[in-house]
Amino acid sequence: MARIILILLGAVLVNNFVLRYFLGICPFLGVTGRVSSAIAMGFSVTFVMTLTAAIVWPINHFIIQGLHLPFLEYVSDILVIASLVQIIEMFVRKTSPALYRALGIYLPLITTNCSILFLALFIPLRKYSFLDSIVFGFGAGIGFTFVMLMMSAIREELDFAEVPKSLRGAPITLITAGLLALVFMGFTGLLGSA
Amino acid sequence: MSSILIATISMGGLAAFFAVMLSIVHERFKVEEDPRVEEILSCLPGVNCGACGFASCRSLAEAIVKGEAAVNSCVAGGSSVAEKISRIMGVESGSVKKKVAFVRCGATLSERSKKATYQGVNTCRAANILMGADTACLYGCLGFGDCEEACLFDAIKMVEGLPRIDLSRCTGCGRCVEVCPRGIIVLDSFENTNYRVKCSSLDRGKKARQVCTKSCIACRRCEKSCPYEACWVEDNLAHIDPRNCQLCGICSMVCPTGAIVKVG
Repeated sequence: MARIILILLGAVLVNNFVLRYFLGICPFLGVTGRVSSAIAMGFSVTFVMTLTAAIVWPINHFIIQGLHLPFLEYVSDILVIASLVQIIEMFVRKTSPALYRALGIYLPLITTNCSILFLALFIPLRKYSFLDSIVFGFGAGIGFTFVMLMMSAIREELDFAEVPKSLRGAPITLITAGLLALVFMGFTGLLGSA
Repeated sequence: MSSILIATISMGGLAAFFAVMLSIVHERFKVEEDPRVEEILSCLPGVNCGACGFASCRSLAEAIVKGEAAVNSCVAGGSSVAEKISRIMGVESGSVKKKVAFVRCGATLSERSKKATYQGVNTCRAANILMGADTACLYGCLGFGDCEEACLFDAIKMVEGLPRIDLSRCTGCGRCVEVCPRGIIVLDSFENTNYRVKCSSLDRGKKARQVCTKSCIACRRCEKSCPYEACWVEDNLAHIDPRNCQLCGICSMVCPTGAIVKVG
């Protein structure tokens, strides 16, 4: 139990994918304009990440390692991720057209979101068990959502701030992202190597 | 050799599994979308001004395809857009009645008197909450240019504290009408008459004269001189009925303050 909590906390805070490994920066800067779409994007990524972890582990365990085919790791990972994103895209389009429009190009772009490929490649490296992988995938997704929420809330407030003209738009966003990353550096070493 | 075979079979099997999964989900979550929606959307101006009464250009496109809106609903796009849409929908377009914005206040900054010095937020909205801020007239333009900011088509320029509307650019979307806190901007089609009362003041003559040199003072000269009974004064403000007006221009000539002007 303690191990699972450690993995979860590690994925959410200490080794946050966005602000520690700088993965998934594209939606982090692109969809954080408004809190509602940022949260929706976060949960979509969480869904894809959790499912990816759950599917990649057996594929890796039984096919890649079981049949000694390590060179197929990337191919199978990409196959899994692309299929899952397709499924979630169809699902969102059917259930919430407004959300589908708000997420726009960033929804299919989850396919090329490096944080998800990183997750799929990271799981065999860490030698996680099946349950650990799912918790890790879920934690990474929640960490992503958490950072998206923080960033979008800050950016909504920034709309009302008097930002110097030369810093308006992308520059102030990047500065904010840098400051957030600095804050998360404070978690370094909190859980040892977990 | 065997490892190639194993790799091909395992990956092929995996791919086939996901293909079946995807096709099942695709069937389950099928969205029927009319391709005409995208086509119409590409014809519309795409500025989401809301003049048609729908929230966005996309929702208008959807409504047109469903038959809930007429093909000439887009006010901003005018006849050319209506024609394109009617070609997509295969129906007659009819013509779009062009409306443009008209400001019912004619007093420039120097012509209206000040009652105070205002140092607050520079928007009409804020000024209107403070009883008009420095502007003494309770009905006229405040001159901070909320309408200029709201205009998506660059049709409004603030000149001497009064919005000047570029009739060739104005599409009649009505965003300026919505943002004006004093409600002095109206949408008007200049088809029948070009004479308009450029004042909104409901004050009695003496009071109106005190705060502005351009205001209607309800002297009724236009009402008395109009040969076609198109002018009348109501609530201390002159009105012109476009149905009766014959464009003689007498009202404009007799008006002592110049509140009746020729537009267009």
